[in-house]
Amino acid sequence: MEQTGPGQQTHCPYCALQCAMTVSASTAGGGATVAGRDFPTNRGGLCRKGWSAADLLRHPDRLTAPLLRGSDGVLREAPWDDVLQLISNRVRTIQAAHGRDAVAVFGGGGLTNEKAYTLGKFARLALRTSRIDYNGRFCMSSAAAAGNRAFGVDRGLPFPLEDLDAASVILLLGSNAADTMPPFVQHLRGARGAGGLVVVDPRRSATARLADQGKGIHLQPTPGTDLALLLGLAHVVVAEGLEDRAFLEERTIGYDDVARGLARWWPERVQSLTGVPAASIRATARLLARGARSGADGGPGAYILTGRGIEQHADGTDTTTAAINLALLLGLPGTSHSGYGTLTGQGNGQGGREHGQKADQLPGYRKITDPAGRAHIANVWGVPEDAIPGPGLPAVELLAALGRPDGVRCLFVHGANIAVSAPNATTVIDGLRSLDLLVVSDFFLSETAALADVVLPVLQWAEEEGTITNLEGRVLRRRAAVAPPESARSELWIMQELARLLEAPSLFSEDPETMFNELARASAGGLADYSGLDYDLLDGGTAAYWPYPMGGTGTPRLFLDAFAHPGGRAALVRVAPQAATIGSNVPAPLLLATGRLLEHYQSGTQTRRVSELLSAQPEPRLQLHPVTADGLGIAQDDRVVVTSENGEAHALADLTADIRQDTVFLAFHYAEAGSANRLTGSATDPISGMPEFKTTPVRVAALSAHPSRSLADKLEVNA
Amino acid sequence: MSNPESGAPERIVIVGFGPVAARLVEHLEPLVAAGKVAVTVIGQEKEAAYNRVLVADVAVGRSREAAIGLADPAALMALGVDVRLDTRVAQVDRPARQVLLDDGEVITYHRLVFATGSRPILPCLEGMDDGGSQALPAGVGFLRDLDDARAVATALASRERIVVLGGGILGIEAAIAAAEEGGRVTLVHHGRSPMERLLGEGALVLAAALRNAGIAVVAGTSTGVHLADGRFAGLDLADGTRIDGGRLVLACGVRPRTELAEECGLDVADGVLVDHTLRAVNAEGIWAIGDCAEVRCRDSSCPACTEDTAPQGLIGPGWQQADYLGMAWAAEFAGVPASVVGLPERRDAVLVLKARGVDAVTAGETDADPWAVQPGLAVAVWADPGHGRYVKIVTRDGVLTGLVCVGMPRTGAELVLLFERGSELPADRSSLLRLDSAEGVVAAIPSGPDATLCRCAGVTRGAVADSVVNGCTSVPDVSASTRAGTGCGGCHEDIKAVIEQHFAVAV
Repeated sequence: MEQTGPGQQTHCPYCALQCAMTVSASTAGGGATVAGRDFPTNRGGLCRKGWSAADLLRHPDRLTAPLLRGSDGVLREAPWDDVLQLISNRVRTIQAAHGRDAVAVFGGGGLTNEKAYTLGKFARLALRTSRIDYNGRFCMSSAAAAGNRAFGVDRGLPFPLEDLDAASVILLLGSNAADTMPPFVQHLRGARGAGGLVVVDPRRSATARLADQGKGIHLQPTPGTDLALLLGLAHVVVAEGLEDRAFLEERTIGYDDVARGLARWWPERVQSLTGVPAASIRATARLLARGARSGADGGPGAYILTGRGIEQHADGTDTTTAAINLALLLGLPGTSHSGYGTLTGQGNGQGGREHGQKADQLPGYRKITDPAGRAHIANVWGVPEDAIPGPGLPAVELLAALGRPDGVRCLFVHGANIAVSAPNATTVIDGLRSLDLLVVSDFFLSETAALADVVLPVLQWAEEEGTITNLEGRVLRRRAAVAPPESARSELWIMQELARLLEAPSLFSEDPETMFNELARASAGGLADYSGLDYDLLDGGTAAYWPYPMGGTGTPRLFLDAFAHPGGRAALVRVAPQAATIGSNVPAPLLLATGRLLEHYQSGTQTRRVSELLSAQPEPRLQLHPVTADGLGIAQDDRVVVTSENGEAHALADLTADIRQDTVFLAFHYAEAGSANRLTGSATDPISGMPEFKTTPVRVAALSAHPSRSLADKLEVNA
Repeated sequence: MSNPESGAPERIVIVGFGPVAARLVEHLEPLVAAGKVAVTVIGQEKEAAYNRVLVADVAVGRSREAAIGLADPAALMALGVDVRLDTRVAQVDRPARQVLLDDGEVITYHRLVFATGSRPILPCLEGMDDGGSQALPAGVGFLRDLDDARAVATALASRERIVVLGGGILGIEAAIAAAEEGGRVTLVHHGRSPMERLLGEGALVLAAALRNAGIAVVAGTSTGVHLADGRFAGLDLADGTRIDGGRLVLACGVRPRTELAEECGLDVADGVLVDHTLRAVNAEGIWAIGDCAEVRCRDSSCPACTEDTAPQGLIGPGWQQADYLGMAWAAEFAGVPASVVGLPERRDAVLVLKARGVDAVTAGETDADPWAVQPGLAVAVWADPGHGRYVKIVTRDGVLTGLVCVGMPRTGAELVLLFERGSELPADRSSLLRLDSAEGVVAAIPSGPDATLCRCAGVTRGAVADSVVNGCTSVPDVSASTRAGTGCGGCHEDIKAVIEQHFAVAV
């Protein structure tokens, strides 16, 4: 394709690393080309998802007109005016019959800040419903809850990513960053060079392999035991006097209680629960302490980073808290050479969790139950405070309410494909089918859109203006490089039009800058304060780490002076596995962990349409250990069926000694029979609402039997 | 059980304040805060509950006393829990539902919990019989409480030889801990080698490891202590030898503390007899948990109580009992039907040696003969004494029922996990041994033109080689042409190698 002009400086559409790229419109066909651009996070690097991102701009599957389901059940193109009027009428009818909360909104962590903010406002002022939540509940909610509990604020990385370059020790828990955000790996080089990369993962993932050959340690616990492992690490720190006493006394509360809780978690006991040898637990704790001491002396420090592997559990908040406790014991957070952080997943997973898409939240990371916060937002919106509904339902409860009596009758979905990405997907799909009205905004006919009554075609990343907040809490500009298809519309325009039809108060503008300026005012004085930011400043390249208050500057490193709790201290919070989950003597079947591949993103709506990516990973593959496979009579590339109490999924067997014998892994990027979330259940974390994604008991069987092929059978014959 | 004075909280009295009692108190804290129960916990030691398992670590100075505490008396008192330290219960008056303390105070209870734990066994040794007094000679002690730990610490600091009597796990742990921290140690044991009963041939491998750790391991029967100026100076053996030393640590096992229970007429076998809900049999309003309790109900067909249920001297089962009782009472006082299904099925003890440089674990039946012909039984043994490794795996119908693992930490950890879960083992038992092999650690080196050289961008070695053939002479050239090396940058060395190889061939 021919390029025109110098191209637009923007960022990748996919993950939270938000690699900088230049997008150049092609002269022919309306497409574009992509090139990596130097930036502190990606240093010019892109992964193959980023490189191929522009392939989707003029994809033949692209939705170019609204679709309306006819009485014959078929989706057909329809004019914008008609579908918007129909939506507005149906919303009024449904709410008149069933109450305002019969209408709900499901948002996404990929939406720009402007869209996330406007969506929250649209739900509360135009739809007048309390029921809004988003797919970040499946992603960052446990880390967010733990961060808020410990520090009083939740910014994924409270320091610039480049700070990691100087570290001598990095403990990476439950993150396969080498696959999920490959350019990130550049920042591990220093720790690897110092032999200090510790990766905790039941799989010897691409990231775990980075610790091979003396570059660090790979700990391979059985799924669901991360909390016990972290307690074991912290136990060693306290027992051996490796903690930072001065830091704990000056900057934290809760030490005594946590330390007493740790006395029960000596390494040999933890070994019996996790399968990680006591010696490795001690070695890791001492390595961390060495890095912490070095950092405290101004040398290369230590960082603890968590990912979804330890967060996406029914005890994800407590597990993340245990990681933060460990960091606080070592004195890492709030210092210039060490720290704790969580690696945010979705493109705007950070900004998306700050501006009111969450059931319990208002813009600026305010609590919806906080009277002062409500008054501030009501003032910015120009509405009486009681016009803002109270807290709604977190995602899993919201989806469980679909089609139920007193539940949800109408759902708006933006930037999410819950038919694939939500846990217990079969039940969710049944719920979506039972709705009176399902409105889905997307640029492809996703599996969720295919169930909709109305599908609204929206813009892709290279066609819109806006802002994204990356995993560091740095606000970035997304810029339009190509013209959108004629009939596609921005979600801001859709909300503007629907708000008008629904006679909503306050401002709904299709102009991103207008909405950003209102977002900035709404966030003023909140935890995630953007009030000092505007497009001119961002376009000028300012490193805009929030909080960025009016008249102030950005905050690359949070907590250097104080934590965000009243009194300025961080809180250690005593946590422990639930008694019932310890040492239960039930023979464990295989445990399924779900996760991501390098080649695909989220529900695969986008990446399964990129031929280069699809051909590299065309269908779901179940990773299992050769010894496990042998016992089940399964050979490489056999078709297998995976069964849990929630459903079944089909995949090809992929035998690898890199996974534990008791664990199987299935990526969640695929739909229909290959959908991993047909297997996951509805259990959630009591604090964050995070579903259990990583420890589902399953059985695995070959779809076609291979008689007497396995070693087990041969040994049986010889016996 | 109904509360006689309705409205007033029920009074629960816990005798003993060790780790198991502390766990029960934790469960009761919310009930105390809610005013539903009043709790009195009575401990004999000056300290509140601490983790006895770690006493040896404190003795040798690698864990701090403060780090093993399990309860904060001040915080408990503030919450309303009545904590009595340094206090003994003199007597229990069951008809009156009262306990009498040694200071004369009388406390009435609605529920009484025995959590008196166990006490170390005192071996019969000449020179220690001091006219019936319980006091041990100076320089002789156990390694059971913090006072013992302080005494061992003093001996270590003064560079005295420490003699450990007892080849069980506690004796070995004490010996290794002292030796690893620079102490001079002799371990005296019965039989061929320490832990022989549990480890079988593996015990020989362990003994070698102990010697490598600098411990003098001596087999023999001890007959008496030699005192000099009333202080321990040596241990005499039946063969006439004497092992000189400055401190004798007695590690000859433990026995449930049941005197108080016996005196008040409770049924006692090895421990206080309780049914599988932990209620004392033939008694009202009395429970027992932890080392002092023996779970055996009157129903001879009760599946929970048919096995050997004598106390094991381990902390894990006691904590499970405290969890069970705490959760059952929480449900009872909340007025919800007990959601607790019952005590976890009792399994054989898992013993994990707590030591730094020596790895040994054992569980379940370990004496099975590999050559025995018995339906369902399969025994696998791997012995490599020259390299300090020994593994024995016993299965019945494929399920792991016994294990010994010395010198192979990953394998041992994995086997214990499989044992705790009652898992079926893979047919290829040797796959577990490979967890401790180096083979898994060698990174796969991509080779062949179809092998992926750059994972991030999905570029093959062949594609990179082609770009070099077509004129690329540097990594940036190759990256610009193929996208290889544009993600994490981890393959730059590989790209360089392809370029160098091409030009080396060309020259």
